Amino acid sequence: MSRIGTFLTRTKGNRDTADRFGMQDFLAYSYLLFGVLIVLVPVAWTFFTSIKPERAVDNFDTRLLPYAQVETDIPGVGEKPVWIYTDETGTETLVYKAGPTRSVTDVATLDNPDEVFGVPRDTLEPQEVVRIATENYLDPLLKRNGQENFNFPTYLYNSVFVTVVATLITLLINAMAAFALSKYRFRGRLTFTILIVATLLIPSSIILVSLFFVVWSFGIFGSLWGVIIPAAATPTGVFLLRQYMLTIPDELLEAARMDAASEWRIFWRIVLPLSLPALSVLAILSVIWRWNDFLWPLIVLISDPNAHTLQLGLTQFAGEFNTDFHYILAMTVVTLLPITLVFVWLQRFITTGIATTGLK
Amino acid sequence: MTDQTHALELRQIRKSFGAVDVIHGIDLQIEEGEFVVFVGPSGCGKSTLLRLIAGLDDPTSGDILLQNRRVNNVPASERGLSMVFQSYALYPHMSVRANLSFGLENINMPRAEINARVDDAAKLLQIDQLLDRRPGQLSGGQRQRVAIGRAIVREPIIFLFDEPLSNLDAELRLQMRVEISNLHAQLGNTMIYVTHDQVEAMTMADRIVVLRGGRIEQVGRPLDLYNHPANKFVAGFIGAPQMNFLNGVLDGQTLRLDCGVVSDVPVARPGTGDKVTLGVRPEAIGVSLDGHGDDQVTVQNYEQLGAITYIYAAFDNGETLTVQQARQIPLQRGQKIGVTFDPTYFHIFGPDEVALEFSHASDTKDGLR
Amino acid sequence: MTLASSLMLGLLLAWIGGGAIWLLTTRRYRVTQTGRFAMDLLGFPVELAQSLFGRGGVPYALLLPNMLIFGLFTFSPMILNFYVSFTGGSSIILFDRPWIGLEKYAEIFTCEDYLVPKTCSNAGYNFFTGLYNTLWFVAIQVPIMCGVALLTALVVNRNIKGRGFWRAMFFYPVMLSPVVIANIWNWVLNRKGVLNSTLGELQGGLNALAGLTGFDMMATILLAVILIVVTERALRSGQEPSLAWTTVFAVIFALLVTWANPMSLIEMGGSFWLGCVLALGLLWVVAQGGRTARITLLVAAALSAVMLLSIQFSTVFDMGRYRPNNWLVTPNTGWPFFWLVFVFCWSHMGFYMLILLAGLQAIPRDLYEAAKMDSTKPFRAFRKITLPLVMPTLTVVIVLSLIRSFQIFDEVYLLTGGGPGRETYMIVQNIYEVAFTNSQPDYGEAAAGSVLMAVIIAVFTFFQLWITRRQSEL
Repeated sequence: MSRIGTFLTRTKGNRDTADRFGMQDFLAYSYLLFGVLIVLVPVAWTFFTSIKPERAVDNFDTRLLPYAQVETDIPGVGEKPVWIYTDETGTETLVYKAGPTRSVTDVATLDNPDEVFGVPRDTLEPQEVVRIATENYLDPLLKRNGQENFNFPTYLYNSVFVTVVATLITLLINAMAAFALSKYRFRGRLTFTILIVATLLIPSSIILVSLFFVVWSFGIFGSLWGVIIPAAATPTGVFLLRQYMLTIPDELLEAARMDAASEWRIFWRIVLPLSLPALSVLAILSVIWRWNDFLWPLIVLISDPNAHTLQLGLTQFAGEFNTDFHYILAMTVVTLLPITLVFVWLQRFITTGIATTGLK
Repeated sequence: MTDQTHALELRQIRKSFGAVDVIHGIDLQIEEGEFVVFVGPSGCGKSTLLRLIAGLDDPTSGDILLQNRRVNNVPASERGLSMVFQSYALYPHMSVRANLSFGLENINMPRAEINARVDDAAKLLQIDQLLDRRPGQLSGGQRQRVAIGRAIVREPIIFLFDEPLSNLDAELRLQMRVEISNLHAQLGNTMIYVTHDQVEAMTMADRIVVLRGGRIEQVGRPLDLYNHPANKFVAGFIGAPQMNFLNGVLDGQTLRLDCGVVSDVPVARPGTGDKVTLGVRPEAIGVSLDGHGDDQVTVQNYEQLGAITYIYAAFDNGETLTVQQARQIPLQRGQKIGVTFDPTYFHIFGPDEVALEFSHASDTKDGLR
Repeated sequence: MTLASSLMLGLLLAWIGGGAIWLLTTRRYRVTQTGRFAMDLLGFPVELAQSLFGRGGVPYALLLPNMLIFGLFTFSPMILNFYVSFTGGSSIILFDRPWIGLEKYAEIFTCEDYLVPKTCSNAGYNFFTGLYNTLWFVAIQVPIMCGVALLTALVVNRNIKGRGFWRAMFFYPVMLSPVVIANIWNWVLNRKGVLNSTLGELQGGLNALAGLTGFDMMATILLAVILIVVTERALRSGQEPSLAWTTVFAVIFALLVTWANPMSLIEMGGSFWLGCVLALGLLWVVAQGGRTARITLLVAAALSAVMLLSIQFSTVFDMGRYRPNNWLVTPNTGWPFFWLVFVFCWSHMGFYMLILLAGLQAIPRDLYEAAKMDSTKPFRAFRKITLPLVMPTLTVVIVLSLIRSFQIFDEVYLLTGGGPGRETYMIVQNIYEVAFTNSQPDYGEAAAGSVLMAVIIAVFTFFQLWITRRQSEL
């Protein structure tokens, strides 16, 4: 028996290098699959719930597909949900509830709405169709059905503004500092380097209170700039870029100087284009940081609903309407969608970029 | 089937990585105590072949026999071989002593014996002063010795060397070459050594295996390869400066070269107007400054090394010629000199680049200088 | 408009206006060179520095904006923190704040017993509750996450198909924002959420299965067959038992110990943990190799057979009705804390895995081949080569995650809000609430808390420096 097994699973080769799919591979792939399920299932579940109708969400319907109960307009009665009544012989009739749900519920058939008769509750099944509940998305986005509080365009604009402007400023000033630290010898270079290392060691959460004082005295408290500027200079970015710029040969700069280029022009015509790989890693990191920022925007922007970023808006929305899960989940999906798309598009680049720089 | 025990025997070894065939059916026997060098240009499959022998890779087909025992299914750790890697692959976080004893600890050898073996090997390689250092604190040559030491302590059936000298500077390389040769003489183990450097091959090997494109081009003792290259590739690969190749036509036993030289050659099978290539080693060409000889060439460049003079010259038809003379010669660029050829030292390669056989009586290329 | 903001506006005007005038007078631009002019204008201070002080002035001009922001928004708040912590009142204008010295610290440290926050003053109660919760969180979460990250990195680093895909999948949660993560998990962990309903269905299914006639015998036979196959597989390959199959065996062994509940013989609980410990011990012994490995495995197999016969499967699997758990809300269950640890690991593990993976890939393949030639067994190669060589990366990962998880706020605030009660109330939340959500904001106390927290983080950081120093000495 085991001989046959060996024969079947064996390919040429010895134990170390054999290509066969052994127990080790099985365990490894099972582990990976299990891990990926844990990662993906909650996200996927959120998505699948977000396209379910309100009633299904409120009833915690655990079926995967979005089932909605059929409703029809019954003459003289109005919109009513449709139920399937199964009698003792197994015949199914479409009915609607003509009275409150009791152990014996009054129902009437759709064809003959006036003829009311009582049936046991457990013989009634909702008549359902698969329907994607686009209203979960459209109501808040288009401010319909009383969903005026989720000001999606404003939040999106604020988030994009903060992300793009902060990233551009970060790239520019970090690259400038990195250029100075990597390509010039000057008095105080070590001091500056140590100062930047020092900022790496100061976590943002321990200077919250006094940073609030500083930002307030600069008059940018409550505005998007109050979120953008304090976070623009990142020690991580300076080091990442400095490390990369050190690999650019000095001869290139010398050659440009022989061509009478000014130092600033050397910076943006030669050094910046050559540092593009490191710059793009930093750009992606910066986009993730700024897009997902929570605590500092919460402090700076919370008082002005028009300055809320997407994250804040979503928090407020979830806090105010914590029963309207169908809207909350839909807006959660809307919020995670951009970053997911970016990730799917650039995943190889992001993972290798972060792995090689090894920083966050 | 032979009943003789070979240290190693390869039978019809093939190896492909995906769709790419790297080794195309190699047969080879290596005897007990031999020092065999695999040599060839990069990408010829010599390192792959070594890794197949080591058990680090599996052949796609074919058998590997160690002392007449088929070892295809034996993992690397149980083949009883040891290997010196190109990068040395010393464990960076262990001291030299730990590096040497690691493999012995793995097979649960008693501590006392491990220590004895490590000390012996260290003494043999003169690294006994370095035993408590880490690889990072050693020079290139010292690391090389440690790597060899790690191979020695396991007392393997066969030593495998994968281009072990390629990371050393020229002087150290020369020194280590001699030491490895001495080591072989002392230990008497079978050794297989991979290199792309034909000088290493010529100086160290008992037998050279020339590989190209995953095939064996020729196997033989160093001087056999030098004196009787089986084909144009081996002729060009072995020997520095490279052998000269001149195009010509073989008609009967008369060789007419494109550059104008006509010569009688004692080929075993007369030609019928085939296009052939004449190979002649730089040191087998005579020079006369007054311009007399089989033909005249123009000196384009020359190198005076004192004991040896290299002349780089060209025929009128543009074919170039390298000449080596074991004396000092006064020369000028553009100067016309006469060259003389001795058909005894000719190698003639047919259209398929295989060397043509000479009739026995005149095959006396052995012993050339 | 405050003084600082008018200063900034003036600076901006001087930059654009002055720069444009200076550039246009010293250089000539064609209309097509507008882009170049814009870039030159952007770098005007650098150009100016070069023309005034030569090349020596350039690096200072280049560093200026970055250092300005660091100075204003990182260093000065750091120092200001001390000042604010010595002042009282709720004014946001620094000069209006009265100097009260160490009063705020004294308030925090007014405790009868520092280890029991209940005995402290109100401020001290909040602070120490937050501190101890955070320390617990760090102590539990960091080892678990680093362990899982290392294990995942090791698995992904194997010769595995679609490595990029797996790597990306594990990294994906890192990209998600805390708000999104909180909403997702809030939904999953809801009392009627998908987790509870799945567990309920699972338990219902098991109950139904256990109720079948002959289930006891079937389960025994099935497990016996599995046990025999696994044992045979583990023992077959040559002299060394196969580690992978032994792992499978160990899992079954642990389950059997849990079900057979040998601890009940001495009237104690904890059979599950006994099973885990025994299984790990078994794995360890087998990984060491040698004859003891085979013998141990055989003994364990015999033990399993005895246990198997003693188990009443129908009672083991009859677990009764499932009662849905309100995971994030029910107090005194430890579940809210558990789920915080879980969600935090879920969302951050991928990042550390990526760093560890890079560390693993930096180990030359040669070393493993050399180890193979040296007859090293896989587990020994892991312990003697992989682990020491990945240790520097692992240290970095541990310290990074230590500092990060010490500052945990977003996930907690959004998932549990510090509750139930104060079970998951963390130190940053304390600072945030004291300073920003109270109707009477107490900046002084928040600043004092920040200073104390900075001291703790500094201890962590020096610990890191000390360790890395020691490692580089080796």
